[in-house]
Amino acid sequence: MLIFVLRRLLLTIPVLLGVLFVVMLTMELIPGDPVALMLGDAATKETIARFREHLGLDRPLAVRYVRYLGQVVTGDLGRSIQQNRPVVDELAEAWPATVQLTVVALALAALVGVATGIVSAIWPNSLFDSLSRLSSLFGLSMPVFWTGLVLIVVFAFWLPLLPVGGVGSPAHLVLPAVTLALPSIAMIARMTRSSVLEVLREDYVRTARAKGVGERFVVAKHALRNAAIPILTLVGLQAGQLMGGAVLTETVFAWPGLGRLMVKAIFARDYVLLQGAVLIFAMAFVVINLIVDLSYGVLDPRVSRQG
Amino acid sequence: MRKWSRLPFPIRAVLAGILALGLVALAGPADAQKRGGTLTIVRPTDPVSLDPHTETTAPGAWVYYNVLEPLIYLDEKMTIQPRLATSYEVMSPTKVRFKLRPGVKFHDGTPFNAAAVKFTFDRAFKSTPPARWASLAGPIAGAEVVDDLTVDIVTKEPYGPILRTMAMLYVSFPSPTAVQKLGDGALRAPVGTGPFKFVEWKTNTQIVIERNPDYWGEKALLDRVVFKVVPEEGARMIALQTGDADMVMFPSPAQLPTFRKDAKYVVHEAPGLRVVYIGFNTKLPPLDDVRVRQALLQAVDRKAIIENIVEGLGVAPKSYLSPGVFGYKDMQFDQLFPFDRAKAKALLTQAGWTPGPDGILQKGGQKLTLNWIAQRGRYPKDGEITEAVQQMWKEIGVDAKVEFREWATVFNESLQVDFARHNWTFGWATTNADADYSLFAQYHSTQVRPVGFNRTGYNNPKVDQLLEAARRSLNQTEREKLYGEVQDILAKDTLWVPVYNTKEIVLTRSTVKGFVIHPVEYNLGLWKTWLDK
Repeated sequence: MLIFVLRRLLLTIPVLLGVLFVVMLTMELIPGDPVALMLGDAATKETIARFREHLGLDRPLAVRYVRYLGQVVTGDLGRSIQQNRPVVDELAEAWPATVQLTVVALALAALVGVATGIVSAIWPNSLFDSLSRLSSLFGLSMPVFWTGLVLIVVFAFWLPLLPVGGVGSPAHLVLPAVTLALPSIAMIARMTRSSVLEVLREDYVRTARAKGVGERFVVAKHALRNAAIPILTLVGLQAGQLMGGAVLTETVFAWPGLGRLMVKAIFARDYVLLQGAVLIFAMAFVVINLIVDLSYGVLDPRVSRQG
Repeated sequence: MRKWSRLPFPIRAVLAGILALGLVALAGPADAQKRGGTLTIVRPTDPVSLDPHTETTAPGAWVYYNVLEPLIYLDEKMTIQPRLATSYEVMSPTKVRFKLRPGVKFHDGTPFNAAAVKFTFDRAFKSTPPARWASLAGPIAGAEVVDDLTVDIVTKEPYGPILRTMAMLYVSFPSPTAVQKLGDGALRAPVGTGPFKFVEWKTNTQIVIERNPDYWGEKALLDRVVFKVVPEEGARMIALQTGDADMVMFPSPAQLPTFRKDAKYVVHEAPGLRVVYIGFNTKLPPLDDVRVRQALLQAVDRKAIIENIVEGLGVAPKSYLSPGVFGYKDMQFDQLFPFDRAKAKALLTQAGWTPGPDGILQKGGQKLTLNWIAQRGRYPKDGEITEAVQQMWKEIGVDAKVEFREWATVFNESLQVDFARHNWTFGWATTNADADYSLFAQYHSTQVRPVGFNRTGYNNPKVDQLLEAARRSLNQTEREKLYGEVQDILAKDTLWVPVYNTKEIVLTRSTVKGFVIHPVEYNLGLWKTWLDK
């Protein structure tokens, strides 16, 4: 078990190296010079050159890559180009907001999604099932920036119950978390429904029923546990998805998290800040996947025995 | 000392006072100013910093304009007014002497004096890298202390625009003690002399400033101002409607007409300093022929574009400069080159272009084809304008092929020595509000790509000579006349299709009183603003 975890953690190193390389290469390839953007329409060539030299941007990509890696190993993520602040400081300010938002959204998605899915599976083709399938189709198809704005109009403007955006109280969290969770709720509900339905058709469920086990116990113990692996995999994937969705949701709701920081870094071509933010995202992704993989073993002992 | 070199501050002040008294009398007691309250402003992004040393963009400038002060500043009518200086005197063509206001203290108690001025100039020009505004400061070399309340600003060469440059909001002064003590921290917590004091900055959430009770001048009316970040345009508009915000920066253009009709809101507008235009590359045939350029200008129905595309976001430009810029002169486009398709066609016929079988004009087997680079979204409606003009040119038989690229690409390409496009759609703002800034950089022959911003490749010895004279002179009346002459020549030589002059637009609730919008986007002065609620 420990070796499994260690091996997986070691594997993250090449993943992160690759991610960083792709980010740096992309920033190199997309048009736009961070210094020109920073100094505006009328900066002289001389000033631009001085700034580029100061920031080390006059060096080739390979040199910058190796240098950056050297820094990262010592825990130094550099200074942001635009604000000239340690990237670590900027990330430290932003990540709690994103974690708060994604954790709440994920919990919401898992709870509501799984519950809806189970109810749909127990009474397939009922009115509830049809409604939930229809609304999950809607939830999946609507982009978060649109649902976000609609929710703002309805719950902050027409019925002034919740704040328009920003942070401060738990009420501020409601709209962004719901917005972010909606597509995931839909995905999880659909997956739970089909997964539970499938298991309910299995022979051992029929056997369980035949030997007189109560329906509630059949669903909770026999069906759900066996249906859990695909659902859990999906929830894990959704965690990554939510971090991606947070970029848009944070913008709509003025939520001061990592997603906003990344958008800002991209527009300003602040590659140092962007690399730091991507590094955090990539690490979070790897860790979540690891947790999901480990939990397979808990749910299905066969997995850890093979591993 | 020459007579013109003294700015009649006292006379201006008295006149302004009389005018203000008159207005107060007219307004009556119903509009009695109220003290107190918190003004909440929503704007799209967080600043880079709150110190002009590293922040020259609007989100930071909106805040520090209320915290830090320059020696002299431009009021809403774009006239120079005293601030931390009480008067100035031109000592020589390369030296201007400022008398500083006595008894002024920074928010941390440090006295404001000549040493503080020198400190900021040294920091701006001698640190690595230099201040971000240093490249906007022309040949200014630095500050020299004469005595505690007298400072000389010295330039490397005679520099006519020095006053407008010194009046830029970037040339304002933080406390040297705070900068030395806090280091980089001072960039995020400015300590100035202004009517408001910095309180806190929560990254990507909000910045708070509060009234400075010890301000040397007339004290601010508001207790506090909160600048919130709301990136999404729609959400900013809703925040205003729900009362979560009192003022919106960058309001949604599409929603403005509705808000204009509603008495609960006020749309504040002023002509801005930017002209959005379509440029002509005079180095590339057929645009080397002035008749072709004039024909293209006359083929553009600029009125229709302003009314139908730009709508409320801009006004018809009367020059390559905005009216708020020192040296601006009406270039009389409507008299010289009014929209007239027949006239445009006639000009092209004169230049030897005749319609081909496909309707496109040709000369010697060559079609009249133009190669044009533009971007979408850098300036309001830039893409739509480009397409409209392309269509208008098509109607007189000119085939313009537009390539839309990302803004930074257009920007960089248009400054390359081998720039091979006939046209580009761009905007130009006269940041320091002095004609030199725009005219010298864009039309002096030494500024042709790749050196400077002369994208048109324009080369006219007469214009060079006028621009040099205007730059060297510190006689503002003479300078104004010289820039007038330059604009008359440029009008006939037709280097741009000036499409619209931007407007500065701020939307507030009608409870926000006393706010006057400034033609310079960055100058968001809130010390006279108060809340009627």
